[in-house]
Amino acid sequence: MEDIIATMAEQLGPALVILGASLAVGFAGSGSAWGIGIANEAAAGIMTEDPKKFGYALVLLALPGTQGIYGLLVAFIAMSKAGLLGGGGVSISIWQGLGIGCACLPIAIAGFYSAIWQGKSSAASILLISKRPDQIGKAVILPAMCETYAVFALLMSIMMLTGIKV
Amino acid sequence: MSRSEAYGYAVARIRAMEPMLFDAALYQRLLDADGLGGALKVMGETGYAKGLSGEESGDRYDSALEAELKATYDEFESFVPDRALVDIFRVPYDFHNVKVLLKSNFNARSGGRKRWDLMTSLGTIPTDDLIVRIESEEYALLPYGLSQIVPSCMTVWEQTRDLVEVERLLDRGLFAAIAALAESVGDPGVVMWVKSRIDSENIRNLLRLKRFGFDAAATVPFLHGGGTIDPMTLVSLLPEPYDSWARMISYSDAGSAIASVQDDGNFDNLIVALEKALDDYCQSRLENARYSQNSPENVLAYLWGKEMEVKNIRTVLVSKGADSDRDEVKRRLRHGY
Repeated sequence: MEDIIATMAEQLGPALVILGASLAVGFAGSGSAWGIGIANEAAAGIMTEDPKKFGYALVLLALPGTQGIYGLLVAFIAMSKAGLLGGGGVSISIWQGLGIGCACLPIAIAGFYSAIWQGKSSAASILLISKRPDQIGKAVILPAMCETYAVFALLMSIMMLTGIKV
Repeated sequence: MSRSEAYGYAVARIRAMEPMLFDAALYQRLLDADGLGGALKVMGETGYAKGLSGEESGDRYDSALEAELKATYDEFESFVPDRALVDIFRVPYDFHNVKVLLKSNFNARSGGRKRWDLMTSLGTIPTDDLIVRIESEEYALLPYGLSQIVPSCMTVWEQTRDLVEVERLLDRGLFAAIAALAESVGDPGVVMWVKSRIDSENIRNLLRLKRFGFDAAATVPFLHGGGTIDPMTLVSLLPEPYDSWARMISYSDAGSAIASVQDDGNFDNLIVALEKALDDYCQSRLENARYSQNSPENVLAYLWGKEMEVKNIRTVLVSKGADSDRDEVKRRLRHGY
């Protein structure tokens, strides 16, 4: 029984890291896919009437995709820190694993919601350029405001990860 | 897929179609054009070109306008999630066609000729199908309540020979059908807009009936229920001077449309000005929807804008043919989309 508990304690640290990394990639990626889907509908709508607007639309519908990349980046850092990449032999305690797992949450949560709202914002900007393509500069800035908070979350996740001693 | 997601594509497509609608500069060019030929030349540079083909006859531009409107309806039906939104605009043409067929039928019985040429292709029921069903008296398959309304109209005609009553029955059925279509969409904005349209129609009818000296009892049957203003309230306006109407229904948004038109003592001018004000009022009721990227009202706004565009073009082209005063024609044009 003691052996089982000892093994569980040994494995729980890496498991918590994997859980955190999964949440970062899963939630941020899902939010990005959702946001891009919303922007895609608007892009498809304007391209049905004017295919020449593809270039403008592509810039705007790609914006919600960045949160997925941030989530992937944080997951890589977390797994690297725990030695789960490349088969390194780093030993992670339960508390270290919990810390790394929690450090992944900011980008998982903020990435998910900011990507969806950025998708809605991008869709609105796509409607703007359908009538006023000359306003593409302003149209990109509006959804980029949502990006700010995903960047804050990314920074916080990275700072937390670097702050944990392994 | 949720309602908002379903309309994301449709609204974006509508936004991309907006630049193709006539703007103030294009209307000005039409008005400034030298005669009907010049106006048709301007039209040749727009989306109406394919239906015109360089012809200058009146019938030709009328059919070009109808073809453009039909193409718009057909296109919308292909991508709008709720077809009922398009049907709200097409059903009046079905009722128009039924009116034409019934009147032709009555006319033929008294030795006149049938005027099927007055039918329009803009309705939801193909004209050939409608002719077959009415002529063979197979009313059971007619939609929008026509299966009950048409036999009632036939009975009224056979018993009273009263064409006005037949028209009244059809108009009542039309607004009930439009209200049912709006309800089927399940969007409060769409329902409110249809109520505004019913109010507009009632106010228009009220003024026309006042002109012909109808009293309250005779007016009530011509007013439709389902609007925001109760028909009995509207009837109470009948004995009052027009200038006090806006004050008496100031609680309704339609009051502002009435207030925007001043009575100069000429009934003809008043009716024309009020009809324009009420059409603009219907347009204004949809303006807030244009800030939304997923509201079904965007579909109504575009289609109403297109209807008004066709109405404006027809007004300008007819005025060119009749050599009317340009400023007077400009005053009659509805606000663009």
